[in-house]
Amino acid sequence: MAHPVESISSIKLAWAVSWSAFWTGFPFKLIVALLLLAGQVHPWEGAGLVTLLVVSVPIDIWAVGLTARTVFLERLGVEVRGPVGVSLWWQGAVLGALVLGGAYYAVGATMAVGRKIAAAMIVFIKTVYPTLPIAEQITLELLLWTIPTAIVMLVCVLIWLQLFGWRLKRFVITSGQTSSASLLERVRQWDYARVPADPTLVLVSFAGVIVTLTVVFWVLLPVTTPTPHPDYPLPPVEKAAKPVKPEELIKKTEATLEKAEAVLTALEKEKSKETKKGKGK
Amino acid sequence: MNGLLQKVYDFVDERIDLKTLEAKMMNEPIKGGSRWAYVFGSCLLFIFIMQAITGILLMFYYIPSADHAYASTQYVIHEVDYGWFILSYHFWGSSAMVVMVFAHMSQVFLWGAYKKPREMIWLVGLVLFVIVMAFGFTGYLLPWDQRAYWATTVGVEIMDKTPIVGDFLARFLKGGPTPGQMTLSRFFVIHVMILPAALMGLAGLHLFFFRSAGPAGPFRGAPEELKAKTDFFFPRQVWKDIVAMATVFMAICTLAFIEPVQLLEQATPDPGDYHPEPEWYFLFLFQMLRLKVFSGELGQFVAGVAIPGAFLLLLAALPFIDRSPERNIFKRPVALLSWTVVMIGILVLTVSAILNREFLE
Repeated sequence: MAHPVESISSIKLAWAVSWSAFWTGFPFKLIVALLLLAGQVHPWEGAGLVTLLVVSVPIDIWAVGLTARTVFLERLGVEVRGPVGVSLWWQGAVLGALVLGGAYYAVGATMAVGRKIAAAMIVFIKTVYPTLPIAEQITLELLLWTIPTAIVMLVCVLIWLQLFGWRLKRFVITSGQTSSASLLERVRQWDYARVPADPTLVLVSFAGVIVTLTVVFWVLLPVTTPTPHPDYPLPPVEKAAKPVKPEELIKKTEATLEKAEAVLTALEKEKSKETKKGKGK
Repeated sequence: MNGLLQKVYDFVDERIDLKTLEAKMMNEPIKGGSRWAYVFGSCLLFIFIMQAITGILLMFYYIPSADHAYASTQYVIHEVDYGWFILSYHFWGSSAMVVMVFAHMSQVFLWGAYKKPREMIWLVGLVLFVIVMAFGFTGYLLPWDQRAYWATTVGVEIMDKTPIVGDFLARFLKGGPTPGQMTLSRFFVIHVMILPAALMGLAGLHLFFFRSAGPAGPFRGAPEELKAKTDFFFPRQVWKDIVAMATVFMAICTLAFIEPVQLLEQATPDPGDYHPEPEWYFLFLFQMLRLKVFSGELGQFVAGVAIPGAFLLLLAALPFIDRSPERNIFKRPVALLSWTVVMIGILVLTVSAILNREFLE
């Protein structure tokens, strides 16, 4: 009897796992990106990017493990014991790095060549039809180079899916066991694998996490716009008037008057001494 | 439930039969079980509620007069605590609503969920789609900067080309020969009163029809499998809806951070160096109007009014034209091809409009 994994193509299997895994991990990565943005750290460069990538690894491992387990059970009726995520994630990542490297050159080269050919074709069309309007020219040129580029990109994605699907199938054959459960039991199994069994607990903890993240978010969020309009008239900064404290003011004035009085007395004494000296002469 | 909460619950239940209401709301059976593909409608409702909340917050400061609209929007951005974020959220929320409407309609179309007995849901949904686009159009004018003023001018000019009612509509919306105070007042009233009321009423009707006909369920799968997977709305679909709403919320916040709203110069009847352009979701239509084949009065009417109008009419007639009970999209090649062509067309024309900018500099 053929193994249940033979009932599905590699591409379909890889697509089912990777598409679901992407969306499973996406909200968690978005939380990290959002908190970074609120703290005015760009998640697409420097420390922000490193943080996001580092955080993404465990998220992806968890997401791939969860979705692969449920896809195997739902589509193939195969149960996998033991850890799934790490093994599948590194295989997907290595294949991804290889295909992405190849795709970078293949797509880049196709785009460059496509653009040159498109430009040459436009020049040719203009010799036949010199009044080719700008709008038509733009759309035509865009179609001429994006169609081959999109095809090459699609082929690269299919290659990755084929390779990843092949690894998934190997994994299922070596680590999976055909489930003896009925369809109904399997439905419950994969459903509860994806959605926690205790909804109240989940909703309460979900609400708790949301409240915490919201507080962190509003604490980090800049109060004023990070991109002020260059011409916006900023209101003149007024120096805050010091509050008047009558007692302190009276004391201060009294002290000043006392000082002035002392100086005056000293001056008068000096003057009277000088006058006496003058009379003595 | 603890004592006090239980007492409150019992008190309300005794008076309005809360338990039956709760059962009706939460225990709706979903054929084939909960799915992520069903979250778009809930997400749309969530986005609308958030738009209403942020819109009300903005109205505390916004002054809908030609003299003060620009200054009050600048004040919201620069002076009001977190005002820049609320405004940016509201701005990106409108784009999210358009994207979500497209996603929702695409899902319904591809899954064949518009077919008998769900024609009424589809028709009301189409009207809701028009309302969402009208929200975007009317809201765009309110900041009263050059972008807002000229996008509206172009939009109203296109509307003017509609036969019979076009002239009246354009005059009614502008309230004068050029956009001014009357235009702003009318757009404001439409944006904050007429459209929200219409949307709330029709969304309620949409939901009522949906609950009456029931969810269509997946377009393939053996009946015994679908029956085995059938589940209630609560908790699994509710959970998926909440996760999707949270994701949408975070995506809008992220966009508000990456590209916060920045106004151009205050609106004037002289465009100066500014090249009028509508909001991104109308760009495909704008680019279509630039094509030589659509030049001249007749061409502009065809591209600006006749084609979009005919397309909407075709969508409205779809459940009555396509009477085949087959829902599997892979067995409906014409539907799949049409959807792909329309989507690629919109994408190509939108990108072309963006590329077209450099030829205007």
